[in-house]
Amino acid sequence: MQGLSIPQGLNLLIPEFGLSVMALALMVLDLFFDAKRGKALMALGFVAAGVALGSLGLAYNAPEAYQGLGALWAVDPMALFFKAIILGTTVFVLMLSIDYKPASELRHPGSFTALVLLSAVGMMLLVSATDLLMIFLSLELVSISSFILVGYERRDLKSSEGAIKYFLFGAFSSAIFVYGISFIYGALGTTHLIDIRPLLGEGPALMFLVGCLFLVVGFGFKVSLVPFHFWVPDAYEGAPIPVTTYLSIAPKAAALGVMARVFNHLIPHTQLDMQTLFAVLAVATMTVGNLTAIFQTNVKRLLAYSSIAQAGYMLIGFVTANQLGREGLLLYAFVYVFMNLGVFTVAMAVGNEDGYELEAFDGLCRRNLGLSLLMASFLLSLAGIPPFAGFIGKFSLFAAAVKDGFWWLAVAAVLNSVVSVYYYMKIAYHMFFRNPRTLEPVRTEILVTGTLAVAALGVVVIGLYPEPFIAMAHLSTEFLPVSVPLP
Amino acid sequence: MTLAHYLAVSGLLFCIGLFGALTRRNIIGILMGIELMFNAANLNLAAFNRFLAPAGVAGNVVTLFTMAVAAAEIVVGLALIMAIYRNMNTVYAEDINLLKG
Repeated sequence: MQGLSIPQGLNLLIPEFGLSVMALALMVLDLFFDAKRGKALMALGFVAAGVALGSLGLAYNAPEAYQGLGALWAVDPMALFFKAIILGTTVFVLMLSIDYKPASELRHPGSFTALVLLSAVGMMLLVSATDLLMIFLSLELVSISSFILVGYERRDLKSSEGAIKYFLFGAFSSAIFVYGISFIYGALGTTHLIDIRPLLGEGPALMFLVGCLFLVVGFGFKVSLVPFHFWVPDAYEGAPIPVTTYLSIAPKAAALGVMARVFNHLIPHTQLDMQTLFAVLAVATMTVGNLTAIFQTNVKRLLAYSSIAQAGYMLIGFVTANQLGREGLLLYAFVYVFMNLGVFTVAMAVGNEDGYELEAFDGLCRRNLGLSLLMASFLLSLAGIPPFAGFIGKFSLFAAAVKDGFWWLAVAAVLNSVVSVYYYMKIAYHMFFRNPRTLEPVRTEILVTGTLAVAALGVVVIGLYPEPFIAMAHLSTEFLPVSVPLP
Repeated sequence: MTLAHYLAVSGLLFCIGLFGALTRRNIIGILMGIELMFNAANLNLAAFNRFLAPAGVAGNVVTLFTMAVAAAEIVVGLALIMAIYRNMNTVYAEDINLLKG
C-alpha cells in the first residue's frame, strides 16, 4: 500500500505500546469485575509495568537493537534512565494502591490502574520526544490522566477540590505552552527540534526566545517550579495518597528529563542566554519550598513543599548544562525515588488510620519502632545527611554547580538544606519525643512492608556504596543524536 | 490581510483569555478564558503555516491536535466541575476553599 509506511524506529517504543494496550484492556475488564475481585486488575497492571521495566534492561544491554532515533522520538541512554525511574515508581505506586483500601471501598480499580499506566506511558513518551508536537501530546496525556487520578475519590470534597485546582492551573499552563509552540513554529517554520539549530542563524530571534520562555512555563508547571507551584500543596493534599506519591516523583522526573533534552541538548539554554534565568528559578524554588514547609502542620502538605524544594535542587544539575550536571541530576532523581517513596509510604501507613496531621505521628516509636526508624532514615536522606543516599545525590549536584562557576547557587542550596533539616526533624520530634495518644500498634500490610524494604535498601545501599550508581548515572548522560548540527 | 493582522487578532485573543482566566470568579468562566488562549495559539499556528511555510502542513497538524486535546481536557474539567457542584452546590472559585496553604 502506498503512503502507508511504518514510521522508522517504531519498534523502539514497544514498551509504551504494550502498556497502552494493557491500560485500555484494563478499562474494559473493569466493567466485568466486581469490587471484590477488582484488586486482581491492579495486580495485572502491576505485572504489566514490571514486565515493561524488565524490557528496558534488554534495551540497556543491546543498545544497537533497542536504542536509536525515530521520526519524532529518540530512545537513548538518557531516555532509558528516566523511563526506568518512571516505571519503577509506577510499579511501587500500584503496589501501594493495592493495599491502600479494603476491596469493598475501592471504586473501579481497573480504571484507576489504567489511568496510572496511561500517565506512565505519557511520561515515557515525554522523555523520548524530540518534536514539539510530541512533547505537547505526551505532556497532555500525563496531565489529563493525573487530573482524574487526583479527583478519583469523587465523594471526597478535598479530592475534588484538589483536582479542580490542579486542572485549572494545568489547562492554563498548557494553553501558554501551545502559544509558545506557535511562536517557535513561526520563528523557524518547523516543530522538529533536531532540525532547529541550523535555522537559528546568528542570534536567536525575539519571537523564538518568547516561545522558549512560554515552553519553560509549561514545563515549570509540571516540575512545580516556583512561581508555578500553587497547585502542588492542594493537589497533593486532596489526592489519594498513592496518587500523591506518584505525582511527587514520576511527572517531576519526566518533566526534568524532557527539559534536559530540549534545553541542554537540542537547543542549549547556554546559547539562549537563559542560564541565569534557570539558576534564579532553582534558588527561588528551593527557598520558597523550604521556607513554606516550615509552617505546615499537615504531613501531606509538608511533604508537598518538601518536594517543591527537592525539584529546586534537581534543577541545579540542569542549570550547568554539562555532563557533570546531568550526572548529578540523574543520580539525584534516582535517589529521590527511594527517599520520597519511603516517606510517603510511611505517611500512608500511619495516616490511613489516624489522618495526616502531624499529631498522627506522636509517639510513633512506641507504636511501631521499625516504622519510625525507617521514617527517620528517609527524612535524614531527604535532608542530605550522610551516610544516607540523599547526601551523595546532593553532593554530586552541588559539586557540579561549583565546578561550573555557580558557587552562589551551591551556597544557596547548602543553606537551604540546613533550613530543611528543621522541618524534617520536626516529624522526627513528633515520632520520638511526644507521647502517643494511643498505644495501639500501627499495622502495615505485606505490600507496604515490601515497598518500605526496597526504599530503605535503596537509601542505605546507595548511601554507603555509591560507586556503581554513580557509574550508571555517568553512562546514562548520553543523548541521541550524538551531535546536533550547529548553526 | 497580512500575517500581522492575524498575529494582532491572536495576540488580542490571548490577552482577553488570559485576563478572563485570571479575573473570573466562576470556574466555567475561567475555562472559557483558557479556551480562548488555546484558540489564539491555533490561529497563530494556522496563520504561520499559511504565510511562512505554505509548502508544509506542520502548523495545521499541530492545530488539529491542539483542538482535539483541548476538547479532551475540557471534558475532564467539566466532569470535575460536576463533581464539585454535586458536593458543594457552587461553581464559584472563592467558595472552594477547603484546602488552605
